[in-house]
Amino acid sequence: MKKFLAITLVLALVVLGVAAKVKPIKLGAVLPLGDITGRQAANAMKLAVKEINAAGGVLGRPLELIIVDDEMNPSKGAAAIDKLATIDKVDFFIGGMSSGVHLAQIPILKKYQKITVWIGAASHLCEKALAGADWYFHLHPWDYQQGAGYAIGWKQILEKYPQVKFDRVFLAYEEGAFGTASYKAYLAMLEQAKQGEGPYVGLVKEFKGESFKSAAFGGGDYRAVLRLAKEWNPDAFIWAGYDADALPMMAQAKEIGFAPPIFIGAPPGWPADFGKSPLSEGVVLYGMWAPSLNKVSPVAEHFYNAYVKEFGEEPATYFAPLGYTNVYFLVEGIKKAGTLEKEALIKALEQVEYESPLGETLKIAPSAVIKHQGFTTQKILQWQNGKQEVIWPFEVQTAEFIYPFPKWEGR
Amino acid sequence: MKKLGMLIILAVVALGFLFPLYAGPYPLHVMTTVLTYMALGLSWDMMLRTGQLSFGTAGFFGLGSYAALLTTLYLGLNPLASIFVGGVFAAIVAFALGYAILRLREIYFAITTLALAGVFTVVARNLHDFTGGPEGKILPSAIFNGDPTKVYWLTFSVALGSILVSELFQRTRIRFAITAIRNDEITAKSSGIDIFKYLLFVFVITSAIQGVVGGAYAQQYGFVSPESAFSTNFLLLPIAMCLAGGIYSTLGPVIGSVILGVLSEYLKLRFPYGHLIIYGVIIVAIVLFMPHGILGMLKKIAQKTRTEVGGNENEK
Repeated sequence: MKKFLAITLVLALVVLGVAAKVKPIKLGAVLPLGDITGRQAANAMKLAVKEINAAGGVLGRPLELIIVDDEMNPSKGAAAIDKLATIDKVDFFIGGMSSGVHLAQIPILKKYQKITVWIGAASHLCEKALAGADWYFHLHPWDYQQGAGYAIGWKQILEKYPQVKFDRVFLAYEEGAFGTASYKAYLAMLEQAKQGEGPYVGLVKEFKGESFKSAAFGGGDYRAVLRLAKEWNPDAFIWAGYDADALPMMAQAKEIGFAPPIFIGAPPGWPADFGKSPLSEGVVLYGMWAPSLNKVSPVAEHFYNAYVKEFGEEPATYFAPLGYTNVYFLVEGIKKAGTLEKEALIKALEQVEYESPLGETLKIAPSAVIKHQGFTTQKILQWQNGKQEVIWPFEVQTAEFIYPFPKWEGR
Repeated sequence: MKKLGMLIILAVVALGFLFPLYAGPYPLHVMTTVLTYMALGLSWDMMLRTGQLSFGTAGFFGLGSYAALLTTLYLGLNPLASIFVGGVFAAIVAFALGYAILRLREIYFAITTLALAGVFTVVARNLHDFTGGPEGKILPSAIFNGDPTKVYWLTFSVALGSILVSELFQRTRIRFAITAIRNDEITAKSSGIDIFKYLLFVFVITSAIQGVVGGAYAQQYGFVSPESAFSTNFLLLPIAMCLAGGIYSTLGPVIGSVILGVLSEYLKLRFPYGHLIIYGVIIVAIVLFMPHGILGMLKKIAQKTRTEVGGNENEK
């Protein structure tokens, strides 16, 4: 009996000793926690880490997630990288949202040169600043890729629905960085199309752009730009602003009786209750994800249900599935490499094919400047019966395209 | 007593200068940000000492940022020299604008200076080819290739320079002139003080400091954009730090920026999801319960202790 007890004690000590030696793999995330996009991305990352740890971790080690708030402030975001690298001694950097914050982080990231998988920052300036950084993986499409993606989508929609017209396009853009960047991107691509190059060749014949002051920055009266658009009579009207513009934009369009055949809204996020308004019906939007993907993608459905169960709220922004993808993509790479060694892991990440909850398989390919770009297009969605339905890509289409935009009467 | 005070100051400066030798990159980064706000706070307070409430801090900070970054980008100017250019450019603009806006007083002056950042933002946004428009411009690399120690010493020098200028304002006849202007302009004028000259002088000097700080900030991160350069953070945070530390002095903004700067970072790590609310409540509490700031409270305690010690000695 004594012998048995002694052996058990020794074994227990050995097991405890081994367990104590298993150091976690540390992921350092930087996100704006005061914003719904950052908060939900952080939640989704926690969910992914919980699932992975419950399944035994990676390479026999658990994951540890350390999240620092960047407060949407460049210097705070940059300091967060220093903190994660030197105090928490993380193995990898993940996260990201604002391009302005990321521009301040790039010199610090370059200092540490740890493998970084970033889900935010769409500005091409960030891409330019990261030239030659082979340790950097960017998952969100760059601004110019998004514009090109929409053209591909609309061309395919025109083929499938011959009654749809997309010849005359009017863009109302908020006068800040976000809106002006959209306008400039359109101008550049249409100029390219005139030379017979790029994705917009043969798509848009006439284009007009006009700026407005966003409600997010003290504006909120869009009547002038809407009247101008109404007089111009476009096939498609696009507004590039913020969530605060969404409902007043629709209300004022109704007020002046402006109902173009295609009404597109392109804010980075939508107000939580937008779908509940009858004014939302038929509005087209761009995004990387919609809850309706649950109907066609088991991964999306699993993510959605797990998120709701864990946090008691619905994921409302595509940064939630993107945050989840952020962790899983990196973990798939580590599994493939079988090591945390930098060069081997970079090679493994280049080969990862991860079926994401965004309804598409994530694969790495070079973009215009960097070597490691993930997603390249957004989806074309449409508000139907209060929900966002996927119209394009057709492989994950969840509803037929409502065309033309329904009249205002009765709404 | 004076010698002891001098020794303490020298010791603090030496400790500050040697900070990179005993602190890691993260505390160094936090202190660099604290020093940036310290210099901005001091410059705001120097203008306030004339009785004029200026909200132009973020505007001149942004101008300095743009001038420094664009001169390096287009003219290949040495980054250190470009920071100086940022200060000179902000000073020139302040001199030109000062002729018009320093005729205004109180709320009219405050509102006009508040509009400056807005006007500069519109200009920066619309000069697409030159300033990069709303997206801004980036440099191929940050100053000193991002070396945190050198960046810290640069910001430390800028903050130290601001402290010296502030002390110069406190210890020379400028102090009598601007205090007289603040207390009563008519009396100051009848005493022979050229009010406009002094106001313009202080406005130009403080704007130059803000320009230099902006230039250093832009070079530190190697990019500039209207949203980041003219951010209200560079107006509201320095003001909050001055109010917390104590206005009309050099020590007040220094104390305020160190305490609030470090506290902000500590709260963020301690309460990731509610730190900004706690931070705001603390600032409101300081302003409400310490109307003369932390420095004013410390002075009050010191005075009380002295009175009590004096009273006890008299009893003996």
